[in-house]
Amino acid sequence: MINLIRLEFLKLRKKTRSWLGPIIVFLLIMIAYPLTVEFLQEKLEIGFFSVLWIAILISMMLATEDIFTEDFNDGFLELMVIQNSSFSLGVSIKVFAYWFLIGVPVSFLGFIFSYGTTGNFSLSISIFPLALISSYIFLNLFALGNSLSLNKGSVLGAIVTMPLALPVLIVLGKSLTALQLDINFLSFILLLLGSLSIIIVIIPLIVSYIIKAHLE
Amino acid sequence: MFNFAFNSFNEAIYMNGHGVFVWSVLIIVILTLYIFFISYIFKIKKIKKKLNESN
Amino acid sequence: MIKKFIHQFASPKTFISKVDTYYNFIFYSALLIYVLSIIWGILFTPEDFVQGNSFRIIYLHVPASFLSQSLYLAMGICSITFLIWRVKLAAYLIVAIAPIGAMATFIALISGSIWGIPTWGTWWQWDARITSTLILFIMYLGLISLHSSFSNYEKADKLLSWLVIVGAINIPIIKKSVDWWSTLHQSASITLTDKPTIDPVMLYPLIGTVIGFFGLIICLVLLSSKNQILIREKNKSWVKDYV
Repeated sequence: MINLIRLEFLKLRKKTRSWLGPIIVFLLIMIAYPLTVEFLQEKLEIGFFSVLWIAILISMMLATEDIFTEDFNDGFLELMVIQNSSFSLGVSIKVFAYWFLIGVPVSFLGFIFSYGTTGNFSLSISIFPLALISSYIFLNLFALGNSLSLNKGSVLGAIVTMPLALPVLIVLGKSLTALQLDINFLSFILLLLGSLSIIIVIIPLIVSYIIKAHLE
Repeated sequence: MFNFAFNSFNEAIYMNGHGVFVWSVLIIVILTLYIFFISYIFKIKKIKKKLNESN
Repeated sequence: MIKKFIHQFASPKTFISKVDTYYNFIFYSALLIYVLSIIWGILFTPEDFVQGNSFRIIYLHVPASFLSQSLYLAMGICSITFLIWRVKLAAYLIVAIAPIGAMATFIALISGSIWGIPTWGTWWQWDARITSTLILFIMYLGLISLHSSFSNYEKADKLLSWLVIVGAINIPIIKKSVDWWSTLHQSASITLTDKPTIDPVMLYPLIGTVIGFFGLIICLVLLSSKNQILIREKNKSWVKDYV
């Protein structure tokens, strides 16, 4: 298992475009935002968090663009199935590697941008765990989309899984309101964590079945 | 329970200005259902014909 | 035992012969109920005190809206049946239901939009129920495009089934959206647990339109699945005998 983790991290680190690309896209969206609403603090704060969640969503979508494609084409996935090792665990590790190298930096940048825009440290630090959890959930969902549309282009996968991200966006919006009004914020974090704990078990399992269907 | 809700046929069409909405929705629903039914019946006929020809 | 039962009664050949036997009866009775209930609802129910005559759109909007969610649930049940018991007919049904579900959702959206003009003063509002129904419509389109992008039907069926199951998470959100958010859209008039909030004079034709529309949609699903069976099983000897 340790070897598998090491291998996944090494593979992703070597594909610079795969991990750096989504981070740069995130940065560009966050930088582009002020350009569209004039550089006025009040105006910037109004739509900032919506843009932040959507930027995280888009960058996670781009991150998973070719999460399984290369492994599928070079036969690595087939090898894993033949070796009879826990395939869903392999998928989990892969998604975790992507989250660690893309999701975590994006969440940290989200915190920086949030602090820069609102100037409110306690609000921004509370955004950080929300971004961490939601980016992990998004990665899992888009990994599912990518597995469904293997070799059929990433757009199809994004189309079919984007609606599944809707509940997360709703909870993010609601938790932000809770944070600003200082009511029940922790319960939203727990709700997201609960969803994540289900997703990180179920999605890799489903992805493994889907990839097996592709290989059959 | 079965009393005609309007005083005249024209009133039933006009419905105090709401007729345009009610009747347009009705037309859309009927048209959509009709198109779907016809297209499936046509598709089935087409495939049956194709299969008959290949037999 | 369940497996044996399903396999016995879900062979495509048996299904098609049952469709041919019962189709006309279901179609004509559903059509009769639907037409009579529509006439009853649109012309014979009293005007609503608040919404005026525009409320009559309820007889066209509610059945479509109800069916748009129910059809997704039906697809979910078929997906589970297909993945667990490998029943081919279930896979054919999923593919057959998807466009019909998209159609029902389309009718719900369009009729809702038109109803919104006289009642809300706008044809579109980013309201919880409308937005979640639009997402359901996009999900149906996504399912159709996913299945059509694979030439290998067997693979496409499996992928579609998994996506349907995962996507079912959105159904309770759509159903409960009007209760969870304070939005423009009114709460459901008829529920299984509570007393209807609608007057019986208006309720009976509504039940009639729901039943009639449900019957017509079943007929469409039967036609669509028959079409699927003929396409997929075209090389089987029984199909050659059948046509």
